[in-house]
Amino acid sequence: MNTADLLPLAVAVPLLGAAVLAVTGRRLPRPGRDALATAWAAADVACLTLLWARTAPDGRAVSWLGGWSPRGGHSVGVVLVADRLGAGLALLAAVLVLAVVCYAWRYFDEPSGEHGGVFPALLLLFEAGMVGFALTGDLFDAFVFFELMGAVAYALTGYRIEDERPLQGALAFGLVNSAAAYLSLLGIGLLYARTGELGLAQIGAALDQHAAAGHGRDALVVVAFVLVLAGPLVKAATAPFHFWLPDAHAVAPSPVCMLLSGVMVELGVYGVARIHRVVFAGAGGLPDDAVRDTLLAAGVLTALVGAVMCWPQRHLKRMLAFSTVGHIGLFLIGAALLDPAGLAGSAVYVAGHAGAKAALFGLTGVLLDRYGSVDEHGLHGRARELRLTGLLFVIGALALAGLPPFGTGLGKAVAEEAAGHWGGWLPAVFVLVSALTGGAVLRAGLRVFGGLGARPAEDPEAAATTGEGEEPEIREPGRRPPVPMLLVPALLLAGCLAVGVLPGVGRALAAGAAAFTDRDGYLAQTLGGAPAPAGAAPEAWWTVPGVLLGLLSTLLAVGLATAAVRRAPGRDTSGLFRVTVLPLRRLHSGLLGDYIAWLTVGLAAMLAALTAQL
Amino acid sequence: MSRTARLRLFLAAAAVLAAALITAATELPGFGGHHHPYGERAVAAGLARQTANIISSVNFDQRAFDTLGEESILFGSVLGAAILLRLARDEGKRRAAAEPVLPTTRLFGATLLPVTLLVGGYLVAHGQLSPGGGFQGGVALATALHLAYVAADYRVLKRIRPLAALDVADALAAGTYAALGLIGLAQGAGYLANTLPLGTFNQMSSSGLVAVINAAVGVEVASGVVVLLAHFLDQAVEIVHNGENR
Repeated sequence: MNTADLLPLAVAVPLLGAAVLAVTGRRLPRPGRDALATAWAAADVACLTLLWARTAPDGRAVSWLGGWSPRGGHSVGVVLVADRLGAGLALLAAVLVLAVVCYAWRYFDEPSGEHGGVFPALLLLFEAGMVGFALTGDLFDAFVFFELMGAVAYALTGYRIEDERPLQGALAFGLVNSAAAYLSLLGIGLLYARTGELGLAQIGAALDQHAAAGHGRDALVVVAFVLVLAGPLVKAATAPFHFWLPDAHAVAPSPVCMLLSGVMVELGVYGVARIHRVVFAGAGGLPDDAVRDTLLAAGVLTALVGAVMCWPQRHLKRMLAFSTVGHIGLFLIGAALLDPAGLAGSAVYVAGHAGAKAALFGLTGVLLDRYGSVDEHGLHGRARELRLTGLLFVIGALALAGLPPFGTGLGKAVAEEAAGHWGGWLPAVFVLVSALTGGAVLRAGLRVFGGLGARPAEDPEAAATTGEGEEPEIREPGRRPPVPMLLVPALLLAGCLAVGVLPGVGRALAAGAAAFTDRDGYLAQTLGGAPAPAGAAPEAWWTVPGVLLGLLSTLLAVGLATAAVRRAPGRDTSGLFRVTVLPLRRLHSGLLGDYIAWLTVGLAAMLAALTAQL
Repeated sequence: MSRTARLRLFLAAAAVLAAALITAATELPGFGGHHHPYGERAVAAGLARQTANIISSVNFDQRAFDTLGEESILFGSVLGAAILLRLARDEGKRRAAAEPVLPTTRLFGATLLPVTLLVGGYLVAHGQLSPGGGFQGGVALATALHLAYVAADYRVLKRIRPLAALDVADALAAGTYAALGLIGLAQGAGYLANTLPLGTFNQMSSSGLVAVINAAVGVEVASGVVVLLAHFLDQAVEIVHNGENR
């Protein structure tokens, strides 16, 4: 089979699987449905592994759908383009879907009868959306798969209908993301009206021609840039567009959280980087400096908001959700540097983070399964019996803090070093965010699984989302955790370790990052032409400062966690807490109107920041 | 945030966005010009494939992959609605009541239902030739069934609505679209390539794969919309919280 044929096949396989499961699911018994879903998910992993292996490290696989290859640089068709980063992210999504399907074998209180098979069918549709978004080389096609991802994710988030909170979370998720998607469509319309093209490469080339013909940079390009990126930025939960994420992640079923936090949000960052690079990084786009400063500012803000909000959480899933916001900020910083090194760091970081974060959500699912609670305070010491679960949870927390040699640590080290070239203070953000988020999760782990420290006193004045009174996601609480619910998180953590230990992964992603930033190569290879070889791949391996900073953030995390555990109970409202956390927490009101207001404010600010720098 | 603070914040930011959008719009090409780069290419490509309705050629041939994604969104929405609107543990079903209907309304429904079905079928069948197609015709077909609800009551609609079959048809049609793409792949022409015999221009049997995909989409949309509405109507008419009177 041609390499080019693998790209559409990677989207078609899960779509077919979803249809098959929806048809046969109502007749098959539960094990049959699970086996079928696992087989389809595994088939797509195989397809994407083959694609990854066959994509040249410094090149791309290009597939013109329906055979509409371009003539004279123009085509009416849709193109899929895979470089190592796009194919890698699609592969990551497929692997996580497979992990989630296996995790949910014995776990999920899945409805049967006429709704049998609907949950795995939705998972496969979600996978098709993510893979399509990662592989497409067409702006409108990206919008379609972005919407597919969204529509399915909203339904999966609201899955537990017996409780009001999931429905509210899904509603906030759906409305904020849809609003942003409409803005993206508006931006696509502007670009289409100017260029008559929808493909990323074609729009980019047409904008360059427009500039070469002597037209100066005008408002249309700036406005289109902000509008088109609204969708991916909201999906990536960039501050101040991040409010939907903790609301949705806190209430979605744990297996769904593994996908949302592990790869869907990261696809937003990927979309920002890809669209900027191919469409807007040329002569007809925006100057690199203006884009870099704007996106860096958004990244730093997101990282800090996520970290500061993560620390005081006691609802474990909300804590993990804010930790995702913090890490997304770091990924965005890496991508915003607009150089191969920063992007390589982010790519490695995303791969490692997916393993660690999905494992942590999976282990939280074990707690929910057994105790019907994900409240750090209420569960104090209760999970001492789950030794293995606790051990894995602590390992996950340390990985989140950037402990070498985990993949998260390697990604952090590479991105940190790249960021240090642009601002000497940026590595401090990486260390702080890793320490706070890893420390918060570690603190929760020590309390819940170790029973360390005094039981935290209830403070009625500190309004916080507790994690009590959650619906267990199965019908038989108190059973032993099923094997897949521990095995899958353990394998995910092993994957996180492998990203940091196997030199091949970092090297491949670094070469992919060099190809990703090679805009001329992308345009030439997509539209027909001989691409010049991409620039040299950056180094993506451990350095002494990287290891030391990783150890530093881990030590800080351990220090913060033990200090918090040892502290006398009831002294939770220090001055610093009142100044930093409380006002920020008030902004997370849960009110949809507020979220939409912040969406408009964020876009207006981005527009103003870009205009001011032109 | 207080209500007024939120409103002020939103309006200030929205004003900035609106001003920017208006500025950008002034730089768009003028309305009604002669330069239509995409349109010219799309028409030429559609005519070359013996497709009279260029919109269908764009939807089901030139950008068929987009449409595959869109049709999957509908499929996913139907599945999602099935999950979200399923019977919760604390809910029960009651029988829909017979509603009094004016004889004239009943006559109106009985006359219009077959006519609308015919129109929907026509729109789907001629999608490759004239305005309309699977999406539009499918919605018309689904609307036709619901005339029974508008002109009579929910019990009549339930009687003429083969829900279980439509549920399967929806999934089958969605899978068929994805599977049809494999024909081109197997022939080495690329996924969703239009490799079927193209037929004669402006005849029913023209446009090759476009007509087939168009029909699959018609089935998917018609059954999908009926199933989707069924979930919502069930919620509104039949499903009650336990404890409420049945």
